[in-house]
Amino acid sequence: MDLEVRNLRKTFNLSRKQRRIEHTDEKRRVAVRGLSFEAKRGEIYGLLGPNGAGKTTTLRCISTLIKPDEGDVFVDGKSVLKDSMGVRKNIAFLTNELKLDDFFTPNYLYDYFSRLHGVDEKTAEKRKKELFKRFGVDKFAEVKVADLSSGMKQKTSIAISLVHDPDFIIFDEPTNGLDVLTAKTVVDYLLELKESGKAIIVSTHILSVVEKLCDKVGIIIDGELKVSGTLQEVKAKDAKQDLENVFFSLVEESGGADRA
Amino acid sequence: MRNMWVIFKKELFRVLTDKRLVLTVFILPGLSIFLIYSIMGEVIGRQMTEDEIYTHTVYAKNMPESIKHSLEERLTFELMEGEYDKDTLEEMVREEEVELALFFEEDFEDKIEAYQAGSPIPELIVYYNQGHQHSSTAYNQFMGVMNAYHESIIRDRLADPDDYHPYLMTSENFLDERTVAARGIAMLMPMLVIIFLFVGAMSIGPDAIAGEKERGTIASLLVTPTKRRDIALGKVSSIAVLSFLSAISSFAGILLSLPRLMQFGEEMPDMGIYRIVDFVAVFAVLLTTVIFIVSLISIISTYSKTIKEANAMIMPFYFIAMIIGILNSFGAEPNQSLWVHFFPIYAPINALSGILMFEYSVINLVITLLMNLVYSGLMVYALNKMFDSEKVMFTR
Repeated sequence: MDLEVRNLRKTFNLSRKQRRIEHTDEKRRVAVRGLSFEAKRGEIYGLLGPNGAGKTTTLRCISTLIKPDEGDVFVDGKSVLKDSMGVRKNIAFLTNELKLDDFFTPNYLYDYFSRLHGVDEKTAEKRKKELFKRFGVDKFAEVKVADLSSGMKQKTSIAISLVHDPDFIIFDEPTNGLDVLTAKTVVDYLLELKESGKAIIVSTHILSVVEKLCDKVGIIIDGELKVSGTLQEVKAKDAKQDLENVFFSLVEESGGADRA
Repeated sequence: MRNMWVIFKKELFRVLTDKRLVLTVFILPGLSIFLIYSIMGEVIGRQMTEDEIYTHTVYAKNMPESIKHSLEERLTFELMEGEYDKDTLEEMVREEEVELALFFEEDFEDKIEAYQAGSPIPELIVYYNQGHQHSSTAYNQFMGVMNAYHESIIRDRLADPDDYHPYLMTSENFLDERTVAARGIAMLMPMLVIIFLFVGAMSIGPDAIAGEKERGTIASLLVTPTKRRDIALGKVSSIAVLSFLSAISSFAGILLSLPRLMQFGEEMPDMGIYRIVDFVAVFAVLLTTVIFIVSLISIISTYSKTIKEANAMIMPFYFIAMIIGILNSFGAEPNQSLWVHFFPIYAPINALSGILMFEYSVINLVITLLMNLVYSGLMVYALNKMFDSEKVMFTR
């Protein structure tokens, strides 16, 4: 079973303050409208879109942090609406809104999240060694998060999100704040995870990462999935087979060239 | 429930290994109370000793010897030499150069002894300044002397000394000393308990929940396969334990400072008057009350976006609790009506007073404990729902 997003719709109330700032009278805003796509095991699905397009809202619905108004997400056949606990057991979610507590060390936090995910101590220890070495976290494992650089924090977050070896990985801007070498480590690791049969959804602004990583791509603008398909199918929308051109032309069609 | 313990241990670790928090939550409350009360006791004690050894300056014109002797027994003073007019002495008393100025009419005592109905009454004029401590003390002591003098004159003037007593009264006080001691403890303790428990919970609760929201770390917890009930219970139980420890620190401060505070005559409260069952009852009330307070603070903290907002929203509840505690300390007897034991905050304060004064019924105590637990259970259920609400957790 794979990860399937089916007719996802999500709206938010706009506060008075937001309405004043955005000079609008609308009380509700549609963040995602009727989104559907599928991420299969052994594939990486790239979600592209300008700021405010609805990418993060989609990922938050998949990760069960928020509930869709309409539609559903099925992770390994489990509905985020009906079996959110079952979904959480098998997903890794990484986004910059999930922060690490400054007071603790990566080592402590890794153990803490391992326990919350119910990973047995022996497996957790073995996996910690592997992940910490892979992302270089072992060099600062006993340093408090407050004293880490943003790159170190991102590496720690990635390692911690994978404590339970989930089958479905949802990463929002995973290479954010990382230097080129670590970014490459992350990209290579995601490719390895894909090879091992995991289903991965990545949201990113970096088109080169999409081209290198993704098997399938979806471009989301104003909450709507404008195009979705294999990387080749999406690139084929442009005469020059250029993903960047496809992206910008879709943004322009939607009347929002300035926001990309 | 496994994850409840994981969260419980993490919260305890978070506070107990943070030197800053250990200092502010567990050491400073007890230490500051100890220092404040000790200093208070020291200052009061010093003031009383100072009054005893201070030599007051008294001006006395025509003071009878008998009055002088009586005053010497009550006040250390030095009589001013020389003659001064009233205006000068008024100025001297105002300026604290003289504590007491007494102008007895010439032959004061003789005139009193020779008094016949209708004859002029001898005059006494006293200058003092109540705004000045030593002058006020000198005046009070002098008035003590004069009251006794006045009484003895009245008695002498009566034909038969027995006429002085219009009736004979015999009073027998059956007051149990245990009750006196208990009343003292019951006046102070419930108020302090409620204040310390609130302060302890307020110093940890908002940071543990609103702080996690503010720092963005709560979302990391919410994407794990942890039941919202476990998060609520883990948070509430850990904050309850820490608040309890913080309250104990405050009590330790009070107990350690009592010998210094009570050095000026008050008797130390003797806890030996209570039985084990009383201590068990007090502990049960404290335990369920701390759970109630922590649940309340957790609800407010979960609803709030920031620690600052949480603290501001908790404050009115703290004031209400403090007012109930203070009203209770003004000596009202414990309320035995059944219905009052359904009111949160009031019921445990009332129950504590009752236990400490040996005036409580088991049924009222059981209702108090049960209601604390029922209200806490309802709040933990609400917390569970709030942790699951994206509106509360993310969009508020």
